[in-house]
Amino acid sequence: MTEPAILVNNLNFYFGKLKVIDGMSMEIQPGATYGLLGPNGAGKTTLIRLMAGLLTPASGSVKCLGKTPSPAIAQKIGYMPQLPALYSELSVEQNIDFFARIYGMKNRKERAQRVEETIKVVDLWEKRKTQILKLSGGMKQRVSLACAIVHKPPLIFLDEPTVGLDPELRVHFWGYFESLTKAGSTLIISSHTFDDAAHCQRLAFLRLGKVVAQGTPAELRAITGQKESTLEDAFLFCIRRDAAAKNYGTINSGVKENVH
Amino acid sequence: MSTNTLTLASRVMTQIARDRRTIALIIVAPLVIATIAGYSISNKAMLNNAAPGILATLIFFFGFLITGISFLRERTQGTLERLMVAPVSRMDIVAGYLLGLVLFALMQTLIMFFYMVYVLDVTYQGDLWQILVFQVLMGIVAVSMGTFFSAFARNEFQMIQFIPLVIVPQIFLSGLFIPISQLPSVLEWISKFLPLTYGVEGIKALMQQGQNLLDVGKDIGILAAFAVGFLLLASLTLRKAGN
Repeated sequence: MTEPAILVNNLNFYFGKLKVIDGMSMEIQPGATYGLLGPNGAGKTTLIRLMAGLLTPASGSVKCLGKTPSPAIAQKIGYMPQLPALYSELSVEQNIDFFARIYGMKNRKERAQRVEETIKVVDLWEKRKTQILKLSGGMKQRVSLACAIVHKPPLIFLDEPTVGLDPELRVHFWGYFESLTKAGSTLIISSHTFDDAAHCQRLAFLRLGKVVAQGTPAELRAITGQKESTLEDAFLFCIRRDAAAKNYGTINSGVKENVH
Repeated sequence: MSTNTLTLASRVMTQIARDRRTIALIIVAPLVIATIAGYSISNKAMLNNAAPGILATLIFFFGFLITGISFLRERTQGTLERLMVAPVSRMDIVAGYLLGLVLFALMQTLIMFFYMVYVLDVTYQGDLWQILVFQVLMGIVAVSMGTFFSAFARNEFQMIQFIPLVIVPQIFLSGLFIPISQLPSVLEWISKFLPLTYGVEGIKALMQQGQNLLDVGKDIGILAAFAVGFLLLASLTLRKAGN
């Protein structure tokens, strides 16, 4: 069996006293598009930051490509944060070239070729000399994606990559993502929209720092037991099921207390 | 020096070079201040006495300000987070900034020095290269301090507020306006813990007394210790940026 691209085991993380990741576990196979779906505050960004090694878990473990996130595997990781995170005075080309250099692409000719290729992938060739501050939000998102993939990493974290994009651009983005997985990369994508979820090969529903369900979109839709259920229905079903189980537990423990 | 440090330094320089307003701040503002100082101090001897201190103070002030804001932006716009995921060490990041911005400090020194000497007719002793070496060290201290203090600001407005807290007291206590020996004993004692005190003392010795770098070895040593201390603290704050 192939080694998982990501292995998360009973992961916990706190911001101060607030538990934001609560016993999460998941296994992500290489070459997949794995969606982390949940509302704001579900823990998606924190989970991605833990997986990318930006945060240290309070307990539990994260393995990326079989190793604890560290500079040793940084070369194999691509990261697109929620903010565009670009140098606004620099041009499209200068930003992408900078990240290519940082990721160790030393050979000038090869790097120039790869930068050109990446700019064309995100369809910004005409704007390559334009400063970031003169670009629209959608164009900045595309440059941000290009900076994350320029070094052809096998594992790519994309934190809400489609937020704020118009429908046409969203379709383009999913086209890029598909081409990346076809080339063998593993994509971990966070989102709070069910449109995005439908594009993923596997999904985890997150809520209040917990994984409420995991599976393929079809498996998750089947959870409700209803025909023609949507992923949204499945998500709501899981939340209600969890809430009911929690109430049942509270009632049971109350009964026990009364008995004793 | 690692390739990543050079890559980061070149990016910092390109970024500043493409920002015309910052370039104007780096070049024009020190000249304006030097002109005001030059024409408001009509006594030639007094101007000769004040000029070295002004040179050191301006490098210190602008170095701190530009670094603080640049590094703060790196934190707030998310690019620092991106760098922290990349195969770049914390020291590479800080050293890259240091190298990039110190070159601008050097450029500022040269412009101000020649302006003071040839336009304001300030006389000096000692070697120009030794003055430049000392000023680079002042630039390093300012950049390392700016990097460190940027960790405690959430926006540019807060960063600016560090100027009256961190820089202005040093200007008053460094011996630039009033000799340190004439300060109340508590302030004299405090001045010993401030880097600008050694900057003003050292540059005065080089430019007024014609001493060489070995003669101001104590000042250089203390400034180097400040620089190393703030650089280490600055690289530790990068962990804070991640967590």
